[in-house]
Amino acid sequence: MNEISSHKENEGAPGEKLLQRIAMIAGVFSFVVCILMVANYIQLKKADPTNMQVITALVDRLNQNPGDTVLREQIRTLDLLARKAYFTSQWQVRMGGYLLLAGLAVMLIALQWIRLRRKINPQLSEEQDLNIFVVQKKARILILSGGGLLLFLSLLFGFLTNRELRQKTSDATKIAAVQSDSTGVQTRPVDSLAASVQGSGEDTTSAVASNTTTLMAGVAEKTAFSQAGSAEAGQPLPASEIYPTFRGPNGNGIAVQKNIPLDWDGPSGKNILWKTATPLPGNSSPVIWGDKIFLTGASETRREVYCLDKNTGKILWTATVPKIPGASSQVPKASKETGFAAPTAAVNAQGIYAVFANGDLIALDHNGKQLWVESIGFPNNHYGHASSPMIYNNMLIIQFDQHTSAKIFAVNTSNGKTIWSANRPVKASWSSPILVPNGASKEVIAAAEPYVAGYDVKTGAELWKLEAITGEVGPSAAYANGIVFTVNDYSKLAAIKLGNPPVQLWESDEYLSDIPSPVATDKYLFVVTSYGVVACYDAQNGTKFWEKELNNSVFSSPVIAESKVYLVDRTGITHIFKVDKEYVSLGEPKLGEPVSCTPAFANGRIFIRGEKNLYCIGK
Amino acid sequence: MNPAKPNRPDKEKNISVPMKKGASIAMLVILLALLALNNFGIQRFPKPDFESKYVVPATQAPMPRSIILEYLDVVVLLASISLVTWFVLKKRSRMGVFGVTVFSILYFGFYREGCICAVGSLQNVVLGLFHPEYHIPLTAIAFFIIPLLFALFYGRTFCAGVCPLGAIQDVFAIKPMKLNEWVQSLLGLVPYIYLGLAVLYAATGTDFIICRYDPFVGFFRVNAPFFMFVIGVLFLLVGVFIARPYCRFFCPYGVLLNLVSRVSKKHLSITPTVCIDCRLCENSCPFGAINKPLGHKSPESRNVTVKRLILFTILIPLFMLLGGFGGSMIHGNLANVNPKVRLASELLLPDNQLTSLQQVDVTTFRSSGQAVDKLNEEVASIRRQFYWGGWILGGFVGLVIGLTLARLAIPRYRKGYWPSKGECLSCGRCLEYCPVKPDMNDAQLNALKKSAAQ
Repeated sequence: MNEISSHKENEGAPGEKLLQRIAMIAGVFSFVVCILMVANYIQLKKADPTNMQVITALVDRLNQNPGDTVLREQIRTLDLLARKAYFTSQWQVRMGGYLLLAGLAVMLIALQWIRLRRKINPQLSEEQDLNIFVVQKKARILILSGGGLLLFLSLLFGFLTNRELRQKTSDATKIAAVQSDSTGVQTRPVDSLAASVQGSGEDTTSAVASNTTTLMAGVAEKTAFSQAGSAEAGQPLPASEIYPTFRGPNGNGIAVQKNIPLDWDGPSGKNILWKTATPLPGNSSPVIWGDKIFLTGASETRREVYCLDKNTGKILWTATVPKIPGASSQVPKASKETGFAAPTAAVNAQGIYAVFANGDLIALDHNGKQLWVESIGFPNNHYGHASSPMIYNNMLIIQFDQHTSAKIFAVNTSNGKTIWSANRPVKASWSSPILVPNGASKEVIAAAEPYVAGYDVKTGAELWKLEAITGEVGPSAAYANGIVFTVNDYSKLAAIKLGNPPVQLWESDEYLSDIPSPVATDKYLFVVTSYGVVACYDAQNGTKFWEKELNNSVFSSPVIAESKVYLVDRTGITHIFKVDKEYVSLGEPKLGEPVSCTPAFANGRIFIRGEKNLYCIGK
Repeated sequence: MNPAKPNRPDKEKNISVPMKKGASIAMLVILLALLALNNFGIQRFPKPDFESKYVVPATQAPMPRSIILEYLDVVVLLASISLVTWFVLKKRSRMGVFGVTVFSILYFGFYREGCICAVGSLQNVVLGLFHPEYHIPLTAIAFFIIPLLFALFYGRTFCAGVCPLGAIQDVFAIKPMKLNEWVQSLLGLVPYIYLGLAVLYAATGTDFIICRYDPFVGFFRVNAPFFMFVIGVLFLLVGVFIARPYCRFFCPYGVLLNLVSRVSKKHLSITPTVCIDCRLCENSCPFGAINKPLGHKSPESRNVTVKRLILFTILIPLFMLLGGFGGSMIHGNLANVNPKVRLASELLLPDNQLTSLQQVDVTTFRSSGQAVDKLNEEVASIRRQFYWGGWILGGFVGLVIGLTLARLAIPRYRKGYWPSKGECLSCGRCLEYCPVKPDMNDAQLNALKKSAAQ
């Protein structure tokens, strides 16, 4: 017993107290350093030398008075001080780290040394033998349970995520198919757009980038267009044969069609292939599906949809909107400039969808047979409903901004049932939604006071919103290369870079529009005022390249086709100019009839709706 | 002389030799002159002229670590591991092991910043095996093999105080608690899963996850992302009470050392001669790596035990199949760690759902003009690799579970207190608890035995 007990009695070895004190001092030292480091870290996080309020305020003052050299020097001195303080704090944190490590090391070594010098008395349990059978049994149960749980979790996880993965793989395959299909119907328009943009001297890299983006975003479109073709002719329709919505596909003012004429004359009939009188007036623009053109017209009491033969101009059929049960019988207070048929119809493979000033919404098939009819509600605004719907696959998206209960919603084009609806706490607006790429999908952009917002096209979830413009917003947004442009009169022109979160890149208040919508390419933005001035800006930074007085007012929105801007003024003159940093006119052909509508395009043809007639121009 | 070649006249020979020499010198001069062109290349783009008289510092590129220093690392490893082995087996000195532990923290930890380490070298070896185009450094091979060789002969002396990851945890083991054996059995499966994952990701060229999630390298570099820092702090804090949690329940290299060490001939023993069952060392191991005497009679009949063993042995293929199926089910999730797979997924996300880093990836890819379909082809191939990898990983985990269950079905009988060769980290803590000395004679031993029995 003596020898064994002597082993246990070995506490309080010489020098232990010293080691204890060293450990304690090192511990306290480490703790103090730790506290100081935390305080320093917080200070470092708060002090961002590149974003100091004082300096920002002084810079603003300097911008107002650029000649103030004293202020300039003051800013420089402050900036230098802020940076010095920042880097000193960084050095302190770094040094603190080393000190902390050193302190901890000393403490731990001292503690371990104590442990090494002082043997711990063995604690002998009463039960000498370990009951291995109990241990083994428990271990077996635990391992079986753990293994089972692992298997269950992997199966559960696999089942839950495999669907999503399959979807991703499928999407990826589609994207690959779209990219590799150089002769496919869908790649052509995109390629032609890229080619046209490149032709105008745009940066090739950005064109490729935007091309890729568009291709990826076009997966859903491809399906839609394929469906479209099969519905009509059993063959897919090229995108150049389709002009489905107001301001073209996606409502963005970019037409993919080619060989658009530059010269015509309405009074003499030069290059006018045909003109057809529209029975009822309307400020809606034509939309095109294959060989058919669709148009709407309305009076206070009557609302009609017309289908014309694209080649002859003959009205193939007229559909009248019936009395919709439950719809209000009020007549909206539409001004003459707005009219009762301001929204442009939308068309897809299944049919044509037209909405009118009083909120009547009708769906017809391509032969004029009514598919369904609904009322979106009598608009609580002071011009009637004027926003044009947008098409995405089998969804008809309607921006319904009014004084109360403003919303944006999507209905199923097959049956008119609501797919999604998103409330919009905004003031009344008359702008139309546009579709922009968002990864492999798209998002809907809607502008109104007080904000421009993006919505997931599939779910209607609000993805972002940014306060940008105010007032009674009429112009729709424009989009190019990840930037959304929005404008309104008596407010401002704002460029918003999409991202997470979206940020305003620049703004301007020189030329503002209350009716025509802007149009943009990767490099240029064109803004048209209703009093007849066109201004071209650098899309990236807002530098104004040029402005051009047209001498006539403009209600129509500009459209870009083949790197040329087509803009029709109210007298019927189409101003055609290059997409360039200088104004280069390519022609100013006359129609001979007042025009408020935006033209539509087909290969080799342009369709312009005048006050009374629809014109087909081509060679 | 080659009869086919006509002899040249001597004159011609005399002229051609100096000409050859001259041509060679000229060629050498031209080549050296070409090297000097690099200087012009650097100056091709003029430096900006700063108004503030700022002097642009000379461009500096970090030099690669000298090969001599890399070999020095191997020498230091060899020396350290030999020293620990000597301290443990010959000197039986815990103090000596502790000294090497502190040295390893300083050298392999803070000086070498945790790299290269034997634990991570496992991935280099796997990558080299599956990707012949990968040039595996000799030091990586040495760091992988040397600890295993020592473990094969002398047990896990590398873990004792040479591994910087183990060493830093060792000094934090201040109040170690004892874990239940069955809990240890369960947690002991985790390193096998981690090993399987590390091999899978290294074999597919995806990532070196052991290095990426190394909890202590941030301390050694005094620079760690917040997540890594938190994980490291948690391990060290847990390590105060549960000694060396990473070594015991995570380290994938420890799995290999464990397996190899089981057959080591000259492993550390608690007693220098014979165990007198005094029980003084019973609770001395903070890692629960001391095998105690087992003398209980089995409460079950031999038939039941044998049947259980047969059942678990038969079930091993089933466990492997189930594990493989489970692994294949999550192959997509496993593949998502791969940067290319992640990029392909990011390309499908709406821009506003991308983080700033993801946006950089996506923008870079789009700007590069690379074809998405090519990327998707690669991603499909990677996913296929992960599908089969998932089967193999799951099968491996099933095998480990099956073998562990079979092992736990075998009744054990032991005498005396001996270190578990696989689990023992050869730290030497237990050595000084043993009252038996190497030079004790039989009388002294008998006296001790008598004392222990009392």
